[in-house]
Amino acid sequence: MLHRRTYLKGLGAALSLPLFDAMGWADSVDGKTAKPPVRLGFMYMPHGVIMDQFWPKDAESFLSSPPPALESLRPIIGQCLMMKGISGVANGPFSGAPHALELSTWLTATLPNPDKRNEVNIAISADQIAANYVGAFTTLPSLELATMPQTWKENQAGLNEAYYSHCSFRSPTQAVPAEINPRSVLNRLFNKNDGSVDDAVPGQLTALDRSMLDLVLGGARDLRRTLPHNDQQKLDEYLDSVRSVERRIAAIEVRQKEAAMEKAGVRSSKRNEADSPPIEIKIPEGDKRSEYMQVMCDLNVLAFQSDTTRVSTYIGSTPNGVSYPELGFNDHHHSQTHHDNEAEKVNKVAKITEFNIAQFAYMVKKMHSLKEGDGTLLDNCIMMWGSGLEDGNKHTRENLPFIIAGRGGGSIKTGRFLPDTKGNQGDLLTTLLACAGVPIDRPVGIATKQLLEIM
Amino acid sequence: MHKLFESMNRRVCGPRITFIVVVLSLVVMGQLTCTADDADASVKDTTDSEYDTQKADAEKVFRKRVTPFIKKYCIDCHQSSRPTEGGVNFTPALDKPWEAAFTQQWKKAIARVRAHDMPPEDVDEQPDDQDRQAFIDGVEKLKYLSPKDPGPFIIRRLTKVEYSNTLRDLFGVDPSIADDLPDDVAGAGYLNSLTPLQMEHYLSIAKKVLDRMDAWDAPSGKELRKRLTEESLGSVPDARLEAQSVARDFARLAYRRPPSDAEVEVLRAVFDLGIQNELGYAGALRLMIQAILVSPQFLFITPAEVADSGSEIVPLDGYQLASRLSYFLWATMPDDELAALADSGKILEPEILQSQANRLLADARSRALFDGFGAQWLGLGDLHDKTFDMDKYPQMTGELRSAMYDEARLFFESVVHENRSVVNFVDSDYTFLNASLAAVYGLENTVIGAEMQRVTLTDANRGGVLGMPGVLAATSFPNRTSPVKRGVWVLEQVLGENVPSAPPDVPELDKQDKEKAANLTLRERTELHRTNAVCANCHSILDPIGFGLENFDGIGRWRETDDTGGAIDASGELPGGKSFTSPQELKRILAGRTDDIARNLVRRLLAYALCRNLDGYDEIVVDCLMIEVAADGYRMQTLINKVVTSYPFTHRRIIDQPTSTLTSE
Repeated sequence: MLHRRTYLKGLGAALSLPLFDAMGWADSVDGKTAKPPVRLGFMYMPHGVIMDQFWPKDAESFLSSPPPALESLRPIIGQCLMMKGISGVANGPFSGAPHALELSTWLTATLPNPDKRNEVNIAISADQIAANYVGAFTTLPSLELATMPQTWKENQAGLNEAYYSHCSFRSPTQAVPAEINPRSVLNRLFNKNDGSVDDAVPGQLTALDRSMLDLVLGGARDLRRTLPHNDQQKLDEYLDSVRSVERRIAAIEVRQKEAAMEKAGVRSSKRNEADSPPIEIKIPEGDKRSEYMQVMCDLNVLAFQSDTTRVSTYIGSTPNGVSYPELGFNDHHHSQTHHDNEAEKVNKVAKITEFNIAQFAYMVKKMHSLKEGDGTLLDNCIMMWGSGLEDGNKHTRENLPFIIAGRGGGSIKTGRFLPDTKGNQGDLLTTLLACAGVPIDRPVGIATKQLLEIM
Repeated sequence: MHKLFESMNRRVCGPRITFIVVVLSLVVMGQLTCTADDADASVKDTTDSEYDTQKADAEKVFRKRVTPFIKKYCIDCHQSSRPTEGGVNFTPALDKPWEAAFTQQWKKAIARVRAHDMPPEDVDEQPDDQDRQAFIDGVEKLKYLSPKDPGPFIIRRLTKVEYSNTLRDLFGVDPSIADDLPDDVAGAGYLNSLTPLQMEHYLSIAKKVLDRMDAWDAPSGKELRKRLTEESLGSVPDARLEAQSVARDFARLAYRRPPSDAEVEVLRAVFDLGIQNELGYAGALRLMIQAILVSPQFLFITPAEVADSGSEIVPLDGYQLASRLSYFLWATMPDDELAALADSGKILEPEILQSQANRLLADARSRALFDGFGAQWLGLGDLHDKTFDMDKYPQMTGELRSAMYDEARLFFESVVHENRSVVNFVDSDYTFLNASLAAVYGLENTVIGAEMQRVTLTDANRGGVLGMPGVLAATSFPNRTSPVKRGVWVLEQVLGENVPSAPPDVPELDKQDKEKAANLTLRERTELHRTNAVCANCHSILDPIGFGLENFDGIGRWRETDDTGGAIDASGELPGGKSFTSPQELKRILAGRTDDIARNLVRRLLAYALCRNLDGYDEIVVDCLMIEVAADGYRMQTLINKVVTSYPFTHRRIIDQPTSTLTSE
């Protein structure tokens, strides 16, 4: 077996993409506006696509006649990149659990540990790798969104239930839960319950909270010392979480100071005068799926626009699945994906896919409409929409379906379809991290190289 | 916590496809090794020697029957060198077969070998039935190789339900105050995990609790409110001393054990911080309460006593035991009576522990045992959100689903409260109905009103969980019944057997050859896949059980013909050759397997109570508990009493297990 160090050296050679500046605004001096930072967002749809509706015919016609599934993206198709030929992680010993794998391998490019399958034991996910690095510059290291509870009472192939509903893993053993309530997200992002984003309004977390947590943390360390070894490890996660909240409060304080300065007439170093004002959030009253999905999109946009975080994952729905009454039928997503080429079911899956891509389109179009620096917010983002299966009918993933929108601050050349890409999910994630300026010391999951053609 | 572990145990804890006689001189050792304290030393010696005999026998059998079997039939595909078929590797398991890491692997091996699913069809030589049985028996004995071990009691975070109930009991706030907290996911390890998101919610919920001080109406909440007001300052000579006293008193409740001096000191430092920040006396005290509510001692169940270094296994202290008991049966903190028994140490006495368990079960809060355990056991946890074809079953409204859930809940609770035999779960002559649910039973003229009421049943096809609409609906597809799902459900949930999962890429019934299936009843169609040898092994066991329930439609209504118009044929045969022709007869046969039903419940409840999978030594504990449970007529309270006084419930291992020799890269 290849020794890890050798392997990394090998990869080092392959890591030939320039590392983009991840600090962005942080290194601005004396009020001179620096280049905006790159933000990295992932949005998920389970169960794969209808292939002939999703994959473009060829590279040449991509811009002039994008595939039917991408109709909603047509106005900004020039901001999009598609690649065919990125394979997913092989199912290995988990062939009986395609839906646990589709989501849990999506950002890890790694199989769950088969010897500890009833525990969470996989790998840190790409978004969390990014959060570990760029998260230090923002109030929230990362933002995790979903639109349905992340529980699923099934454990095929003996796999832990968390694998059915989580794509973010903070460490190999820690699944990151997502927020499903837009009000809660708003509160978390901006420390308040109403829709305004006026930083001068006193937030709920304060410097006093930080000092209080500091004392609690001291007490927790004392407790840790009295516990047996296996308990100590568990308490470490508590300690880690408290420290993370403390950091967040510190970041809020900085923001509040800046906001106060701005009010006093001192222009923030972060923002150009020409930049668009923060978007407004309207939390919908009803339970329409499109409205629910879109308010979460808005929150994601606002979080990026306000530089509250630079990394997000948004699970549009988990493999547990939802139904889409808005589309005129009540069938559960999953039940239709095993369509066996029956026209009616194929048609329904195509509609569901279009619907999900339309929500993604809603988000990236909004980003495209917002001015930032010399371009748009989307110019400084890498937004990836995708699924962990290609064909939900047969549970295959030879060619993972995904769409990238945004130029990643100039690191990605969009407006293209690359029909013959050779690579895997790990390669893709490793490449996206490099584009987002995240230095990594090891490949993501099964990666062996970077996809230089992304440039 | 508990619900989180049950569903995991559904797959991993089921024992056998045919009942393996648990024999042996366990009768002697049983009552001794599995209870909390064995007083009589001379009897204990006998026990140990019995145990040694068993152990020696197990070793011999493993060497003579199991190892050669594995080497002959399994190891070629399932060994360390890659690729290892299906991720199953017997090389390390042969070295240290008793290790917990291999428990699941052995269980699956038994199930597959028994079902003739392994070795695969295409190998040169198949073991005969005698070889198979010897292999199964040998693996069953592996438990005797496990050292006596209660398992660890790793500190764990309160579940969302436990956390909100605890806030309710402490302050009297509505448990919905914690609604924003992310839902917990089932499965090992998750509960011990804590992310920044959750931490932030804990902090903001703590603030919300303090903002709603006016609404505190629990006795402890009222008492605290009195002490948190400025006015009370006038009556205390020294504010810091008083703060310390508030800290000590309230932390005793919130930490569910007395705080150490150092812990009180931390809280007083928080009070000082509040004073320095000019919050005033009341504000500083509130900050201190906030600190309590985000402390690990509140969010986790932590031991009161520091274990001696050097000891490997220690009994739980009274506080831990009281918490374990109340979170098990109530999903909330101990009440005053239980707390007092923890203070006095009396809770450590098995008789007191049992009588407390019975007291807790009699209290309305024990509904938590159904919500956390019963509903998951019966598969009703998802009923409310399950998709049904509303064109076909327009009556499946939220209201009817709730009635179905409540029927199962009230029935479960009646078996517990009335201390009935577990056999009632399968065969019984009463249930609980309201008008809309009675319509499903065809009793719409008998039961009126929305209130659930106890109803005596005259139709012997009903009564017990097998005839309950909730269960029958939960084990159906959205638009039709599923004999296969129902068969698996009966085997796993009722009899506790381990059903191997289907091989991948098997088409569902809908995808079978349409023409071939066109004019067949569901039964005939289901039987089609049994013409395939790969499927037949398992389905010849599963399907007949499901066919026995075909008279109940997809939401549990009685019918004589299925959707195709063909007459229902509800005849079938259980493994072991007992045949039946109706749900009623199927129930009777199942009811005859009281021991299996009870064993299944013991295992599930024990795993739920311990919040972990059962392995190794736990199997011996289960054997012991079964003897006592059987001796008392398999009654439900007895069963629960035995679980809470069992060795692993009352003890914990405080050193790490020796590391396994797994050779994963």
